[in-house]
Amino acid sequence: MSDAQPQKSPQSKESIPSSSSSIQGLHAAIEIGSTGIRLIVAEIDSKGGLKIIDRASKQSRLGRDVFTMGSISRDGLRETIAILSSFSELLQGYGLQPSDIQVIGTSALREASNRDTFIDRINLQTGFHVRIVEDIEENHLMYLAVQKTLEDERSFLTRSNAMILEVGGGTTEVMLLKKGQMVSSHSLSIGTLRMDEQIRESARQPRQFIEMYLESNIKTACDVLAEDLPLDSVRTFVLIGSDARFAAYCLSGKNFSHYAVLDRAQFIEFADSVAGLSPEECMAQYHLSWNETESYAAGLTIERMFLEKTGADIIIVPNVSIREGILLAQVQGMDQKIEQELRRQVVASARSLAKRFRYDEAHAAHVKNLSLEIFDALKKEHGLGKHERMLLEVAAILHDIGTYLRTSGHHRHSEYIIANSEIFGLNREDINIVSNVARYHRKTPPLSTHVNYIALPREARIIVLKLAAILRVADALDRSHSGRVRELSFERTEDRFIIRPSQSLDFSLEKLSLAEKGDMFEDVFGLLPVLM
Amino acid sequence: MNKLPTMNRELSWLDYNARVLAEGLKPSTPLLEKLGFMRIFASNLDEFFMVRVAAVKAAAQNGQTNEEWAGMDPQTLLKAINQKVQAHYDMLYKHLHATVLPGLAGHGIQLISEKDWTSREWRYLERFFMENVYPLLTPLRLEPRVELRREQDYFPSTGSLQVHVAFRLEEDGSIAVVQVPKNLDRFIVLPQRLSIEPEPATSQPQENVLRLALLEDVILAFGSKLFAGLKVLHGIIFKVNRDADFSVDEDRDDDFLTAMEEVLAGRQNSTPVRMVYSGEDQILLGALMQSLSLEPLDVYHVEWLIDLGRAMELCDPEFYRVHGITPDPSLFFPPWKPARTFDEKGSIFDWIDEHDRFVNLPYESFDVVRRFVEESASDPSVLGIKITLYRTSGMNSPIVHALARAARSGKQVVVVLELKARFDEEKNISWAAELEQAGTIVTFGVARLKVHAKAALVIRRRQDGSIARYLHLSTGNYNEKTARSYVDFSLFTANPSLCTDIALFFNILTGYSSIQSLSLIAVSPFDLKERIIALIDREAAQSTPESPGSIIAKLNSLSDPDIIGALYRASAKGVQIKLNVRGVCTLIAGLPGVSETIEVRSVLGRNLEHGRMLYFRNGGSEELYLSSADWLNRNMKKRIELLFPVLDSEIKARCKDILSAYFSDNTHSYKLEQNGDWTNLSLTRRPEEPAICVQEKLFKMARKAVRNEEDRQEILQVRRSKGKFFEPGTIS
Repeated sequence: MSDAQPQKSPQSKESIPSSSSSIQGLHAAIEIGSTGIRLIVAEIDSKGGLKIIDRASKQSRLGRDVFTMGSISRDGLRETIAILSSFSELLQGYGLQPSDIQVIGTSALREASNRDTFIDRINLQTGFHVRIVEDIEENHLMYLAVQKTLEDERSFLTRSNAMILEVGGGTTEVMLLKKGQMVSSHSLSIGTLRMDEQIRESARQPRQFIEMYLESNIKTACDVLAEDLPLDSVRTFVLIGSDARFAAYCLSGKNFSHYAVLDRAQFIEFADSVAGLSPEECMAQYHLSWNETESYAAGLTIERMFLEKTGADIIIVPNVSIREGILLAQVQGMDQKIEQELRRQVVASARSLAKRFRYDEAHAAHVKNLSLEIFDALKKEHGLGKHERMLLEVAAILHDIGTYLRTSGHHRHSEYIIANSEIFGLNREDINIVSNVARYHRKTPPLSTHVNYIALPREARIIVLKLAAILRVADALDRSHSGRVRELSFERTEDRFIIRPSQSLDFSLEKLSLAEKGDMFEDVFGLLPVLM
Repeated sequence: MNKLPTMNRELSWLDYNARVLAEGLKPSTPLLEKLGFMRIFASNLDEFFMVRVAAVKAAAQNGQTNEEWAGMDPQTLLKAINQKVQAHYDMLYKHLHATVLPGLAGHGIQLISEKDWTSREWRYLERFFMENVYPLLTPLRLEPRVELRREQDYFPSTGSLQVHVAFRLEEDGSIAVVQVPKNLDRFIVLPQRLSIEPEPATSQPQENVLRLALLEDVILAFGSKLFAGLKVLHGIIFKVNRDADFSVDEDRDDDFLTAMEEVLAGRQNSTPVRMVYSGEDQILLGALMQSLSLEPLDVYHVEWLIDLGRAMELCDPEFYRVHGITPDPSLFFPPWKPARTFDEKGSIFDWIDEHDRFVNLPYESFDVVRRFVEESASDPSVLGIKITLYRTSGMNSPIVHALARAARSGKQVVVVLELKARFDEEKNISWAAELEQAGTIVTFGVARLKVHAKAALVIRRRQDGSIARYLHLSTGNYNEKTARSYVDFSLFTANPSLCTDIALFFNILTGYSSIQSLSLIAVSPFDLKERIIALIDREAAQSTPESPGSIIAKLNSLSDPDIIGALYRASAKGVQIKLNVRGVCTLIAGLPGVSETIEVRSVLGRNLEHGRMLYFRNGGSEELYLSSADWLNRNMKKRIELLFPVLDSEIKARCKDILSAYFSDNTHSYKLEQNGDWTNLSLTRRPEEPAICVQEKLFKMARKAVRNEEDRQEILQVRRSKGKFFEPGTIS
């Protein structure tokens, strides 16, 4: 039992940063998932803390629709509108309007062929604006929620290697952390409903068959994951999702408030016992609905299989969901710690990707540092913020990974690899920017024939230009891949951007390279980069 | 299926009703209060027959049985019921005629039957009959052959609970039945001047005397006028209880109100369960029984005043005042003025913010609950109000008014309205529509589950924009009338975890959400029973001979076999269990090896014991809960009920005092013996023992609690004035 006494907050007198006043207050988030539509209402305090005030949750058939038919049925639409209307009524009790609410759609909606009309109907009928989150963004939101919940127990994630897993209706989100560093983040096409659909086609196979089938899928997935981190080195297993919370609730009872810690054998036994019950028995024993019974049994089985691939002996189930993550994402700016932590994980994830393609770690690190130094020196000129700085950092780390395929044209290979990879914390748009920045780190600047560039929105194209211009200069300065140019100081004249390294060596090679690659910089910033 | 030793539930209920009667028979009970207990006894019986006995009779016909009957077959049970009820009736009417009526007459309240009418009164009533009653009567005559065919279709509907008069006509022995009109006063006030006979004319009519005749007596006396030209041989007065234990077809969720109205209409014509009559004519009686398909076991003879259960007005001082006499105060219990816990001047939200608040109704005033809803309705910073309503006094209720007002002023008001409060449905339906018109979101509970929980949640925006929530949870309904005589416990709190739990609870009730896990509260039918059993089992697991566990519970009824099983298990582990159960208790106390450490008592008094409170020692980290739920199978399966913890340590301490007070009582307590009998402790108390009445004690505790609170306020003010106004040095 968490707070037994009425709370009197001693810290309430502290001054509130003015920038956060718009975020502070009452917020709500709705998640349209594949098995249910869920709502939370929470109050965000001046420190960026989240206090849950209300929740609601209704089952939904969207996943079933999408993973069997590819689109959302009319009944599915009607049902969603009915649920959202009732949520809207509930929210009115807090003085919240549908337009103020963050509504996200996850895998079911993402894959529905009629998603655009669906979102439009919902907007017209209920006033809610639904945003579809990309699979990789889901990971990011999840991580935010987990991190916040385990804030006071950081050692769970830092003292050993950890896997964070959420099995959803359509996808399974998995993240690997090496002593707290994100090394891998994937969204796998394994889900409780998707499995159901595949199994259904194979006409009522016995349970062993289903398990074999799942095992083989999970093994493939784990082989990929193992490239980032040997799975038997994983000691901590963090489970998210309603099935995991159900297990935690059953195994630790009313003590389950912020998170529960379960042990391996206990969890495996529980997962097996639930999977072993007939749906009817399960419904009776745990007071579940039919849908819950089906998805919990499948979810727990998948989780058990992942668990068995790892060396984890404890399982942590934080009492959170992606909905807390949505709200936390809004708070990000308010909480420096969260933001830094997140940046660190994005960079770690990028490094992990680069490592997979055997990158020149020293060169990448050096170019990264140079890029960031130049970025910081040009703050006024580019007018970009922390987020873009992070994109530059990622692009700098990854700019050369295309050489893994072939040195010739490697900027294009880099672009291709990045565009088709998952980097924790970056959404589709971010990835597109990063891949384009990497693409233009050498050779031709953007042309109207470059489809991937043209496809970007205007704002993104400008970011790409600015970041690529900086990256090109930084890359030129480490032409020798030896890190010779270091400890820079900068000076700006009317039309020149003068770069002075602390040591004076023979920089003729770098100067040559800069003359070749500084073109874009000059175009974008109106300054000629000069190495002195 | 189980071999749990338990008592028969129906018989246990009759024992409870006998205890109600016993309170009425006590010499110390004032006369009109005696009548009050008798009235409750009789009206309880009506419900009992309409619901419980109806079910037993149905089971007897279908050859079913019920695990709550402790192995008794329905036939035997019906016989046992008949014996007990008839014995109770005999006791009641004997006391009524020997003590209560003569006693009241001595105080100027003369309830008289036909034989005591003076000749002038006779003439007055005759005219009264012709002018006021006759036009309203519809006699229905039964042809003898119809009557013999035993076709119910031919027998006039005798409604349920309506008093009727039946006449046997000399001509052909046929029978006529007249319903006593509902819209006339049952008690006819006789003008005082008529009370003296004209002949000795010397005497003066007594002052401050009220003579009352019964409407049904008047109809019986002058009924022959209905049958011009025919001679009436005999008449009897009777009423019928019909089966009321059938439910609405709840799959018709689309229009629940209509379905409910149909059931209400149907209740008038369902199967007769029993008949109560007064009169002698055996032929007439036989004919009625035959027509109504009633067995001798279903027929009860009483001496006059057959509809005691609905003689509310006789117990109401107002009735006498209207008719110009002031009843002697000694006819009533001395009034206990409810203590006022809340100073009307402040804001109730500030009051709750200070610390959790406990209100012990009726010793503390219900005004604070009313104020909570009214202030929520008028406070502009309140965004929403959510409340469950069950057995509210309808549109006259200030709470309903306040809710309608709040809705009209644009606040979100969500009312979970329970229509199925037994026999109160008609009242509820009419004002549901009115609330809806005001803009309230009204939901009619959950299909197949009666919403019995009592909770109100207020959502308010503080000045700094943050959200504050205030909660009222109670064991009693939002009904200011019953709040005057029902003993209930209620809690005001702003505890965020409890508020969140209740917000989720409302989301479930209003259909915004499917069931979610709750952290502090338990809800039936989802997890309340499991929770109680887990709490009992935990107590058993922690109990050691050196440090035995302890459970104290105050309930209205206990018959859930699983909970009884858990209590027996705990008793076997040495847990000390004290139960105070007002009504049905099928647990057997003090059985060697089974329930040796269980003690069961029952308290009945002038106020109806209604609150449920549970205490668990929990190895020293004591837990206290309040609940709307009785430990009946029905409440655990078919009711939405709440169990919530008392978290404030001062309130916990007061609750513990309350519980122990219930076991110190020796004037209104009954103790359950191993053989199932109840010992009246007021009779076994030795003269040297001081008499302790728990209700009086609670009344005094409530006054003391208010005084303590006032004292505390005073101290605060003194300190404040010192610091603020009399700075050291400013006083020369």
